[in-house]
Amino acid sequence: MAEKKLSKKALSKSFRNWYYGHLTCFSQEHMQTFGYLCAMLPLIEELYDTKEEQKEALQTYSAFFNTEPQLGTVVVGMTAGLEEAKANGEDLDGEMINGIRAGLMGPIAGIGDSLVVGTLIPILLGIALGLSSGGSPLGAIFYIIVYNIVLTLGMRFLYYKGYELGGKAVELIVGEKSNAIRESIIMLGTIVIGAVAATWISITTPMMLPGDIALQEGVLDAIFPHLLPLAVVMFCYWLMSKKKISPTMVMLILVVVALIGVLLGFFDPQLSY
Amino acid sequence: MTIQIWQAALFGLFACLASMPGLGGTVLGNYTLGRPLVAGLVVGLIMGDVQTGIYLGAAIQVVYIALVTPGGTVSADVRAISYIGIPLSMVAVHSMGLDPASAAGQAMAVTLGSAVGTIGTVLFYGTATVNLVWQHIGWKAVEKGEFKKLYLVDMVLPWISHILCSFIPTFIITKVGVNMVDLMKAYLPMDGIAMKTLFTVGSLLPAVGIAILLKQVATKPVDLLVFLFGFTLAACMGLNLIAASVVGGFFAVINYRIKVLSMKKPVAVAATGGSDVLDDDDEEEI
Repeated sequence: MAEKKLSKKALSKSFRNWYYGHLTCFSQEHMQTFGYLCAMLPLIEELYDTKEEQKEALQTYSAFFNTEPQLGTVVVGMTAGLEEAKANGEDLDGEMINGIRAGLMGPIAGIGDSLVVGTLIPILLGIALGLSSGGSPLGAIFYIIVYNIVLTLGMRFLYYKGYELGGKAVELIVGEKSNAIRESIIMLGTIVIGAVAATWISITTPMMLPGDIALQEGVLDAIFPHLLPLAVVMFCYWLMSKKKISPTMVMLILVVVALIGVLLGFFDPQLSY
Repeated sequence: MTIQIWQAALFGLFACLASMPGLGGTVLGNYTLGRPLVAGLVVGLIMGDVQTGIYLGAAIQVVYIALVTPGGTVSADVRAISYIGIPLSMVAVHSMGLDPASAAGQAMAVTLGSAVGTIGTVLFYGTATVNLVWQHIGWKAVEKGEFKKLYLVDMVLPWISHILCSFIPTFIITKVGVNMVDLMKAYLPMDGIAMKTLFTVGSLLPAVGIAILLKQVATKPVDLLVFLFGFTLAACMGLNLIAASVVGGFFAVINYRIKVLSMKKPVAVAATGGSDVLDDDDEEEI
């Protein structure tokens, strides 16, 4: 029997289906399962000839799947490689492929959320906000172009790297060196976020202390510039990480804080129509 | 300022594309069109006032700078924030005569956008629930061996979910919402407690967005110092965001080099007797 090899066309169709369709038919019950099925279908149709074999192979991917879908592209690429090996009679079955898939979902979701959504996007948005201060569309355009190019090329790279390396691709994501890179990028992200906080949060008080000293200029600014924004961020952080309060609840708490502050004369936007 | 039918319809269409889970895909949809800053540009173009759109979109963006949806749970809905919240706050800012560049104009947008975004999570759960119907069709199709139907299920039928849960709500709320803004103006004076609180809340909310992100990246107390470093760069040294990114990038490179060195040389260090000097290889758990 001649060795089966996936064609370029099938692979790129599979990648495109994942790139676009991984979340289009999302439900709480199956999340990215249908996107995964659509990504595997072109490959399975090429690797197996009969409907029965195809159906059996497809069964593997009908198991629940959910991860950070952008970084998760590497998993789809890996299973493409593994499915090809399986079709060539290597000692692999659907259950093993599913085991690898299920085992990677959690770690990749964690890494993807902190690296892509928690770091890359905030860095790009931070720069974009800087470019757009003054109402210029430049920042928005910058973000649209850079994010789409980086992610499209990045996901393509991950897919084909995953396909090439098969099971060994795990090292690419969770290896020691990639840990060091990831940690450094997150450090950059944290610094940028600090700068975003100082630049974009503006909380001041018009309160006057006895003796005609302005609380803002006379006291707070002398301790540390932008002390109030920093204090509110730390307060929210403390509520969420130590008290485990949900973001929505924190927002409601801030409404109460604002109301009390207004009643005490600590906050006053001083506006009129 | 009013919103025409064609404008409301366009907001509805963009809401379909930009949702999580949306029909623009994750990269171009949710993470590009769904970001309030980008939506500010889009809404600005549709309403014919790009500058105001960007001002308000940028202000709201800070609140949602890292809208992480761990395990598919959402605390705010991007389509509602971006394509209901921004159009309505644009109308509100205009009709109240606020300057969109001012803290007050942006606080107005932030409060409105966040309120709409939180209530909008209903749309997220609605879409996901309607999709269950298509998935049911999908399983049947696989069972019968009609595999091609999967494409229909994954990429075409969800349009129906979005017409129901994105297009129609966005269309109606942006069209009718204009009148709400007039009512608000008539009944709530600016110097009253309610409006003062509303604007104050708007100035406090961005802190929540930053804190959400901080919780995501700060796993050890020392990470807070890194955040404080970035804060100080901008607050005390007056660096803008691009300059702060350059400084941050420099420190990230140093950190990477240290990490790589400590990976390579555990043997050499032990040999020279430099015992525990390099013990910062605490494994990070994510």
